[in-house]
Amino acid sequence: MSAKPYGLIATFDTTPSVYHAAEQVRDAGYKNWDCITPFPVHGLDKAMGVKRSNVPKFSLVGGILGFTTGMSLIFYTSYISYPLVVGGKPYFSPLFAFPVAYELTILFTAFATIGGMLFLNGLPMHYHPVLKSSKILSGMDDKFHIVIESSDPKFNLAQTKALLEKVGGKEIQELEA
Amino acid sequence: MSTHAATAHAALSPESTTSSGATKALGIGAIGIGLTLIGLFVSGGKIVAFSWLVGLTFWTAIAIGMLMLVMIHHILDASWSVVLRRQFEHGLAAFPWLALLFAPLVIVSWTGSHDLIWKWMNPDYVLASGHTVGHDPLYVKKSAFLNLPMFTVMTALCFIVWIWLSARLRKASFTQDADGDLKWTFMNRKTAAFGLALGAITLTLASIYWVKSLDYHWFSTMFGVWFFANCVRGALSIGVLLLLWLYARGDLKGVLNTNHLHSVGMLVFAFTVFWAYITFSQYFLIWNANIPEETFWYNLREITKAGEPSQWKYVGMLLLFGHFLLPFLYLLSYKNKIVHSRIKPIVIWILLIILVDMIYNIAPAVKDYSTGEPKPFLSISLLWTVTSVIGVGGVFFWAYFKSFAMTKLIPIRDPRIKECLTHHE
Repeated sequence: MSAKPYGLIATFDTTPSVYHAAEQVRDAGYKNWDCITPFPVHGLDKAMGVKRSNVPKFSLVGGILGFTTGMSLIFYTSYISYPLVVGGKPYFSPLFAFPVAYELTILFTAFATIGGMLFLNGLPMHYHPVLKSSKILSGMDDKFHIVIESSDPKFNLAQTKALLEKVGGKEIQELEA
Repeated sequence: MSTHAATAHAALSPESTTSSGATKALGIGAIGIGLTLIGLFVSGGKIVAFSWLVGLTFWTAIAIGMLMLVMIHHILDASWSVVLRRQFEHGLAAFPWLALLFAPLVIVSWTGSHDLIWKWMNPDYVLASGHTVGHDPLYVKKSAFLNLPMFTVMTALCFIVWIWLSARLRKASFTQDADGDLKWTFMNRKTAAFGLALGAITLTLASIYWVKSLDYHWFSTMFGVWFFANCVRGALSIGVLLLLWLYARGDLKGVLNTNHLHSVGMLVFAFTVFWAYITFSQYFLIWNANIPEETFWYNLREITKAGEPSQWKYVGMLLLFGHFLLPFLYLLSYKNKIVHSRIKPIVIWILLIILVDMIYNIAPAVKDYSTGEPKPFLSISLLWTVTSVIGVGGVFFWAYFKSFAMTKLIPIRDPRIKECLTHHE
């Protein structure tokens, strides 16, 4: 076994137990840790002290980029590159550029949202030390887990183990790095 | 999480203060109606009738929006909105009174030369072109639809449908408070299934007869949807205000959480975009096709006959930026949707701008006799519009408060109430 484990994993049987355990781990001041649940648990993000995601900022940038791209595209094609009078309309008007700009706003916002989400999640992730543990199987079925990583500044093998025991964690194991 | 339910049970009985609220609302409504009646002697029947139409359309739109939202919530089996739904159900009590307040407009249309408000009701009305309405091909083709008996029957039918649907939805929901029988939930779902179709047809008919036909030459296939967008947005805004008011009063402490406000705020945001989408599409298609039968409607609202920009142009710009852009940018933020002091100003603003939108669609149909130009936005008729809105609004809230005192604060035996109280928690 290597000198330093990736972290500690603890098992919980019920949703409330992992929820309240998460609150205590949060209050103990840990930062690099996570919960593994078979389904989304409402309010768990609050119990873990996770702030609101930064994805909307990516979306906003994508939206603004999409809108300006649409407007510039129509402006360039119909005013600069190939000016043509169509239906007595001016070469350029934001009115007929608007549907294009609107669609591109949506498209770019969607791209930025998905891309930003993957980027912030660190996805795609082909390997994670938790996958080495057999615990992950029950974590995808009917058990709940809390993983505290050794990279956390507050991590101390003995103390962290004690904390996980105190909050009701069972079968506490070290994860291989 | 069970503590929420416990606090909720403690605050279930509406306090007697609402009966004084009802009296107060009726008093304010009476003052508004009284002032509007004074307007009859100051500005004459035509101006005041149009202002009354604006006030009535505004509040009817909000009641229709409430009706549609209640049915949408039922048919989608929505759990988050159960608490909000009860406030809408109280608002639905206003329909019979709105019908009563609409009656004078129908009565004056049956008397005299019939053209006080809707000029097509009088076949002998002389148009600017020198023809009479009866010889106008655009009227003749539409005359099977646009005539006084049809108008009367359709308006009555619209109100009957709304009153009937509201009565069914209210009865089922209120009875369930007492017996907790699941059959009421299923009955409401069935009502919603056919009620949504009926509601869509009637609100389109009402918007065409009451508002669009003021300029009966005009064509727009977007009009009913435009009206619907305003209906729902107005209803949601009033809904937010009622929730905040009940929370501030203490009734909804432990019931209303930030996730409810977030959800309803997202709907306000969605309908902001929806309104803009519809309104822009209507303008864009007419602008692009450039056919005189359609463009005249926007010309009336932009330039004078001499080609100078009129006041209505700036009202149109106000709608573009105030009805869409400002609420759009404001409501993008999560905080602005959930912090009470931040969501409140924007929904009040949205209600005001919906009123401006109604004025923009109705008022330019009143022409100045000497010049043939629409009366400007800032004129005495704006004053009577405000008194009409206050008058009809007072009656609306009187009906709301009377219904509010009748039953429980929230639908305590709704099968989804627990899920609602712990929404996303």
